[in-house]
Amino acid sequence: MLKALKKKQKRKEKDLSGLFNPESVAVIGASHSELKLGGVVLKNLLRLKRRIRIFPVNPKFPRLMGIKAYPSVEGIKGKIDLAIIIRPAPETPSILEALTGKASCALVVSAGFAEAGQAGLQDEVLRTARKGGIILMGPNCMGVYNATTGLDTFILPPERLPRPRAGGTAIVTQSGAVLSLLFEGMAKTDMGVSITAHYGNAADIDESDIYEYLENDAGTEAVICYLESVRDGRRFIKRAKALSEKKPLIILKAGKGAAGQAAAFSHTGRLAGAYEVFHSVLAQYGIFEACDFEDLMDGALALSTQWKDLKHKNKNRNKNKKTSKGNRVLVLTNGGGAGVLASDECTRQGFEQPEIPPANLENFRKIFPPFYGMGNPFDLTAQGSDRDYLYILRELGDGLSFFDGFIIIALTAVTGITPALAGMLADFKKRTGRPMVLHTGQDEAGRELGREARKAGIPSFDTPERAVRALGHLLSW
Amino acid sequence: MRAIPGPQPMEHEAKHLLSGLGLSVPEGVFIEKPQRKLLREMVLLKTGRLGLPLAAKTVAPGIRSKSEAGGIRLRIETKSELLEAVRELMEMEGARGVLVERMVEGGTEAIVGGLIDAQFGPVVMFGLGGIFTEVFRDVSFALAPTGPVEAKKLISRIKGQSVLQGMRGRPPVDLKALTAAIVTVSRLMATGLIKEIDLNPLSLFPQGAFVLDAKIFV
Repeated sequence: MLKALKKKQKRKEKDLSGLFNPESVAVIGASHSELKLGGVVLKNLLRLKRRIRIFPVNPKFPRLMGIKAYPSVEGIKGKIDLAIIIRPAPETPSILEALTGKASCALVVSAGFAEAGQAGLQDEVLRTARKGGIILMGPNCMGVYNATTGLDTFILPPERLPRPRAGGTAIVTQSGAVLSLLFEGMAKTDMGVSITAHYGNAADIDESDIYEYLENDAGTEAVICYLESVRDGRRFIKRAKALSEKKPLIILKAGKGAAGQAAAFSHTGRLAGAYEVFHSVLAQYGIFEACDFEDLMDGALALSTQWKDLKHKNKNRNKNKKTSKGNRVLVLTNGGGAGVLASDECTRQGFEQPEIPPANLENFRKIFPPFYGMGNPFDLTAQGSDRDYLYILRELGDGLSFFDGFIIIALTAVTGITPALAGMLADFKKRTGRPMVLHTGQDEAGRELGREARKAGIPSFDTPERAVRALGHLLSW
Repeated sequence: MRAIPGPQPMEHEAKHLLSGLGLSVPEGVFIEKPQRKLLREMVLLKTGRLGLPLAAKTVAPGIRSKSEAGGIRLRIETKSELLEAVRELMEMEGARGVLVERMVEGGTEAIVGGLIDAQFGPVVMFGLGGIFTEVFRDVSFALAPTGPVEAKKLISRIKGQSVLQGMRGRPPVDLKALTAAIVTVSRLMATGLIKEIDLNPLSLFPQGAFVLDAKIFV
């Protein structure tokens, strides 16, 4: 009983709402100039849509960017949900000491800790924070961007690092450089972000704590995560599993090269590279891993556009346990070669491509010209038109469905394909709830079709293979 | 970093432990290095009940690969062959004795192992033997301990798993026995008492699975 109670209290200690959704923020090391990191952060905070209390701390100025500044932490009356520390590394422990009793969370932006060989200083920072009951993010991190509320602790100005629009995908990253790549990628496909967390050296808060918070964050529908290492593998697996039972989580693990220990005593030891074990254990717990950056972005795009439909489908699946996840796909194309490339990738992904059911085939033979390739891939040839796609999907997909997912290839160099196809596909998908992805051309018309499709909830990809892999992410949920 | 393994039990000790945990090992006897003149009597007395054919292996602590060092004699068909083999193996560098076992062959070779991973703690590994692990590194890992359901999934995650279902006229292997071996190794790892273990090879038959060689690092 007592043990359970203690556990509960311990859990409560790691309430990260002060970090992601603070009502009051102190900026220690705030500056008047946007050329300084402390100025960028203050300016970002002042842009917040929602009014929160902001306490800039700087001993030299009574006011900064038009609001009252405080000469020291001691001068701040009232409670601080989040203290952002942008001061040289050696000053950090004393600042944390001064924050004790006032602040619930602290974000240490400064570098110069374990990553620079100063593990002792980092330990001291952690000890001081723990003693003061302060939850610590960082050091050496950019912190949090909460697109829903506008909270932005990043030291890079939006003009330099444009923030994606608000949406449902959360980003958890160990690297700041990868974060900027992710932002660019998301902007390109108009994906929206809910919460972004760059947690740096992870002295206290690490990926597992953030997973736990995102599990119950209403604004987050899917999570993508870039990892270099985890400190406590067991805890990581537990939190990742719990999160991915509620919403899609895709992990990209960097550092795959490290092989097993050549000097290991056993055969097992020689075969057990850190990545091999990591990869296996993720598979053991059904946690999704992206093979590379592109796969991470494509998976995120697919899941962010169709997760809601899948959630609905999964709800029904739980009720009726007999229906399985399924991997039967139809490739419907107007380009023979593109269809074959898609099929090849289907084979690599282990998808099935069943033949067209005989009853449907008979129908198709009556109405389509004989040169249509009526297998799987179903090849409409360059003669195919929007309506052909719709007709086939209706015939095959409605009622008792033979396919679990659809790969639509619509190359736009022919006259039969128009942007109106996007609406037709979306309509079908809405009715059946089956995952669907699109590959289209990169000419003007193709880009327009892709845009329209994305708007309508069908992710569009530049190559047949990427479309197939993205469907893989959808079929796994 | 992974801790550096300490002293290791000798093969017959490791097999004795595994046998006590319910795994099958070939029936055998350990013949300690005796005075020279008593060797013949000791060998004949101890191996009488094993029948023929036999396998004999040198038991030397710290030896990396018995087969590479020439420390293994297989398919011993006669008593005189056996005596000669035992005499030679006793003379090998560092030999503490010779393990004489009933010859077991014709199974599908697999490897089941365990180690303490720096990030995940105790894990269990499964792979098919020979080139599947040596060349293709076709192995998979799971957190230890694992139950039979997880163990089956571990087996199904390697690329060459169809070999186990039987092919080219070979019958399928005893998956239940394989699963039991994986579960046992994973439980052993989860105790935290050992650092690394290899059952290599674990020889899989349509009925049963035999630990032909085992290394344990405490």
